[in-house]
Amino acid sequence: MALIDIDNLVFGYGKAAPVLDGVSLSIAHGERIAILGGNGSGKTTLAQWIAGSLPRPGMTARSGTLHAEGKPWSDWDALKRAETIQFVGQIPSQQISGFAFTVYDELVFGPGNLGLEEAEIRKRADWALDTCNLRHLVERDPFTLSGGEQQRLSIAAALVMQPKALVLDEPTGNFDPESREKLLNQINQLPEDLTVILCDMALKPALAIARRFLLLDEGRIVADSDAQAILAHPRTLEVFGAPAVTEAALAIRAAGRWPEGKPLPLTYGQAEALFKEVSHAHG
Amino acid sequence: MITQGSSQTGTALLYVPGNSFIHRMNPLTKLVGLLWLAATTFMLPPGGMATIFVATFLFGVLAGAGKAFIKRLILTLGPFAIFLFVIHGVLIERHDTIQHEWISFSPEGAQYMLKILVRVAALLAASMLFVTTTHPANLLKALDSHGVPPGIAYLIASPLLLLEPFSARARAIRDAQQARGLDLTGSWKARVKAFPALLIPLVTLALSDLDHRATVLDGRAFRARPFRVVLDAPVDRPYERWLRRALLIAIPLQIGVLLWL
Repeated sequence: MALIDIDNLVFGYGKAAPVLDGVSLSIAHGERIAILGGNGSGKTTLAQWIAGSLPRPGMTARSGTLHAEGKPWSDWDALKRAETIQFVGQIPSQQISGFAFTVYDELVFGPGNLGLEEAEIRKRADWALDTCNLRHLVERDPFTLSGGEQQRLSIAAALVMQPKALVLDEPTGNFDPESREKLLNQINQLPEDLTVILCDMALKPALAIARRFLLLDEGRIVADSDAQAILAHPRTLEVFGAPAVTEAALAIRAAGRWPEGKPLPLTYGQAEALFKEVSHAHG
Repeated sequence: MITQGSSQTGTALLYVPGNSFIHRMNPLTKLVGLLWLAATTFMLPPGGMATIFVATFLFGVLAGAGKAFIKRLILTLGPFAIFLFVIHGVLIERHDTIQHEWISFSPEGAQYMLKILVRVAALLAASMLFVTTTHPANLLKALDSHGVPPGIAYLIASPLLLLEPFSARARAIRDAQQARGLDLTGSWKARVKAFPALLIPLVTLALSDLDHRATVLDGRAFRARPFRVVLDAPVDRPYERWLRRALLIAIPLQIGVLLWL
């Protein structure tokens, strides 16, 4: 059974044009999936549906359904839902509970609500502190942290719930390049059975984490494929551009010098080998 | 996991880190003690209230919070004393009012003013002793570990925690509106006119924050169970439990006696 099943979902705020316009999508357990799209493409709204923050009174689907492990979110109780999926939004300061005076208390807040054993809560908190590189901030007031630190804290607070799925909405927006690399590495080291759904309007984090890519455009899924196909999609180039090495390969391909069937490079490592091959092929 | 001496918690707190006897008391014992003192001040003559004031002040000094005590007491009681003196000593006419040149003065009014002032001072000093020696995190943990519904603990914690970010946002809005040409340095009329331009975005953003915060709390299973599991709850010694029970019995009795007499 799929973790998330969305069938022809149409949703809009009030009477405005739909933000999600006939979205159908199935997400399996353990998938690493990126939902890409430009501003206003419906990424955050789709993420909220997936995470169960929607529907709400006055904000219901015009048509279509969403099922999590076979039943709509409305049939789930609050405990099971929190243990199943966690959502981390874009604005770090809005992801803090407002209940904890220290980073450590913020981390143990959720597991405390789950009613777990004290030893289990401490074990989870220790793991999350190391995973998200927060140990040196353990005594700090969450509201005094920088944006990047707050974002790491909100991801850690989601991870301590040990959900089956983690939905990240532009998680690296507040990070400098070095911190971004570190966080992406940390996400990649998360347990394999954890489903990670990343919504972003930057290719780099998506390419670093995901193995499946959705391209959302004006509320519709216009591509659902692997990295190679998504990079070759014309809307990808229009909305995001491409990584520099991929741009170079595309220019070579446009000039008719890229070997037929060769994948485009996504990283510098891949590019080095591929460019050497192309260079040898053309003398 | 609040350690005594932690200096990186919110700046809006009056808590003074320390390890005194009063710091180590269970926050619920201190809270009940504060309620008992408040009830007691209404029963005692001014001399008794003054004794409570001096005693709590001395306890505050012994707990290392003397500076905070003096600053807050002067800031609060100073203007209040002047206000009370003008109202009761000067403005309200009594049978013993003495007219001297252009000023009138009532010794009975001044005595009444002193009575109110000493009572407020005793209440304020007792409250100060509580807030300067009790970190709100410990109070929350004490409430949680005694089965108080998490919603009530949240009502206590969130205003204290959100005050600082809320003030920072207010300053950011002020700066942004000034950069767009809003005049906040002109006459009072101009300032009143500018007020909605500051207030509306502040309220709108606060409401938007509420929505997000509610989603976060739902996501962390807040109130999914009637009680939470609390780590590092403050120690609750048997004698403190007995003391609380005794005080909780004494409070309604004192109020009953007060109403009866």
